[in-house]
Amino acid sequence: MIRLEDVTKVYEGGTVAVRDVSLDIPKGEFVFLVGPSGSGKSTLIRLMLREEAVTRGTIYVAGKDITALPAWKVPYLRRSIGTVFQDFKLLPNKTVFENVAFALEVLGRPRSVIGPQVEQVLELVGLADKAERYPRQLSGGEQQRVSIARAFVNRPPIMLCDEPTGNLDPATSVGIMKLLDRINRTGTTIVMATHDHAIVDAMQRRVVQLSNGVVIRDEVAGRYETVGEQ
Amino acid sequence: MSRVAFMLREALVNLRRNILVVTGAVLAVFISLGLAFSALAVNELVRINTIAWQQGVHLIVWLNDAGRDGVPADAHENLLNEVLTWEEVANAYYVDKTAAYEEFLDLFGDNPEMVEALQNPSALPTSIRIELADIELYQQVEFRLQQYPQLIQRISSAAQEIEQISAVSRVLNLLGIGLSIVLGVSAMILIANTIRLAIYARRDEVSIMKLVGASNWFIRVPFLLEGLIEGLVGAALAVFAVWVAGRNLAGAAEGIQLVNLQVPNAFFLRWGVVFLLFGAAAGVLGSLLGLSRYLREADGGGRPAGVRRALEPV
Ligand SMILES: Nc1ncnc2c1ncn2[C@@H]1O[C@H](COP(=O)(O)OP(=O)(O)OP(=O)(O)O)[C@@H](O)[C@H]1O
Ligand SMILES: [Mg+2]
Repeated sequence: MIRLEDVTKVYEGGTVAVRDVSLDIPKGEFVFLVGPSGSGKSTLIRLMLREEAVTRGTIYVAGKDITALPAWKVPYLRRSIGTVFQDFKLLPNKTVFENVAFALEVLGRPRSVIGPQVEQVLELVGLADKAERYPRQLSGGEQQRVSIARAFVNRPPIMLCDEPTGNLDPATSVGIMKLLDRINRTGTTIVMATHDHAIVDAMQRRVVQLSNGVVIRDEVAGRYETVGEQ
Repeated sequence: MSRVAFMLREALVNLRRNILVVTGAVLAVFISLGLAFSALAVNELVRINTIAWQQGVHLIVWLNDAGRDGVPADAHENLLNEVLTWEEVANAYYVDKTAAYEEFLDLFGDNPEMVEALQNPSALPTSIRIELADIELYQQVEFRLQQYPQLIQRISSAAQEIEQISAVSRVLNLLGIGLSIVLGVSAMILIANTIRLAIYARRDEVSIMKLVGASNWFIRVPFLLEGLIEGLVGAALAVFAVWVAGRNLAGAAEGIQLVNLQVPNAFFLRWGVVFLLFGAAAGVLGSLLGLSRYLREADGGGRPAGVRRALEPV
């Protein structure tokens, strides 16, 4: 589903955020990106979204080389990728329903399609009864559910999550992870950057560990830290 | 359909949100196009009035009576024939004493005092009426006529006035057009500014739109619409204001028969549409200007070959 070949990203100013990373992520997989702060996790996610351009190397998404994608086609790439961030990125002046519907409106979907689809996804994330609330009237965990609903409402084959539980307490995080796990079981490929040891250890999924932009570990059903590491 | 509604709604929200700057931009369009449009209307008035003069006679050559004071009997006829051969002259004809009296009655027939004052109709001078091939040639023709001092009593000419009016209107035109270009540019810059503000105010929406894969045009069109509306409203106000001013001017000048200050409605209709298009163009260009930096960033980091190569050795 996603393949990186010798991807290097050098930011303006010379910081090498990602160095010669090669990864193959098959369809339906759940992958954790771990590593200390500044190791390049967010950069990898931004590269897969074409929010940043690679300096060297190639990234394939669904078989397409996205590094060669002309600018006007980038939106179509993004339609096949749902994104979730630590800070939710909800619009404060829109209700839960409107926030989710917004993602479909801006794709030009007709109203008759938007309504049922939004209701369905709100059902999935367990917020059907809070559709008319504003983000400020929700807990952090609920806000993140809205954000996940918005990312998933268009049923993208891929979800990229950058520390989705970073602002949440452990109990709430577990709820979010259950939700992501459910979404993953529908066949959606999920890549999630995280610092959360407990979650990674509990989920028993593939773990890719970065250090200074280099992949230093890639384990199926791994833990946050290798045994023996402090 | 819902696409269009969505974009229009976004544009209207933008307009309302920055009402102050938007008003500034609309006013700038209004003043710029209003000036240009009035210059054009004045131009049209001058043209209408010059044509009115030009259809008439440019030069009237008042003649001394023939057969007296050393003026030969056939002098009038000879002069007319002579004048008719000049290439500056498009047409010329003779107005004899009978015709002159008829003209006098035409002009003053309803004024008994004038008619009474003219005791002897034969006291009216005969004249040659000249239409010029080109109004600017009047000085040459006058000069040539001055070669017949004993035959000619006086030369009246509307040509000079017409030329003066034309010269004044040319200067006014240049000033008007110059000013409206300067103001037009500032109007576009103001529109660009309202667009920048609107983008700034909506940066969260825009970044989410990009994230969920809204096409670049879907993101841009509301801002283009916003500029378009600003330009169109400004232009409509300008056309309307000049039309109202023109009607008032014509009303005020109704008593004056010498000049026609009535700009025809057909003129307003034809040029009104053109100026609306100008306004629309200014609006769209202004918003493109405002969007330009954003457009460059919109693709989420392309991969310019030059930059890539420069970074290669790292
Ligand atoms: N826009 C940028 N311009 C320049 N350098 C950047 C930029 N974004 C990130 N970096 C640098 O690239 C490196 C990797 O950053 P990145 O955000 O990918 O790390 P991360 O693994 O996501 O860290 P964290 O766990 O703190 O989120 C860091 O050294 C960072 O300073
Ligand atoms: Mg990060």
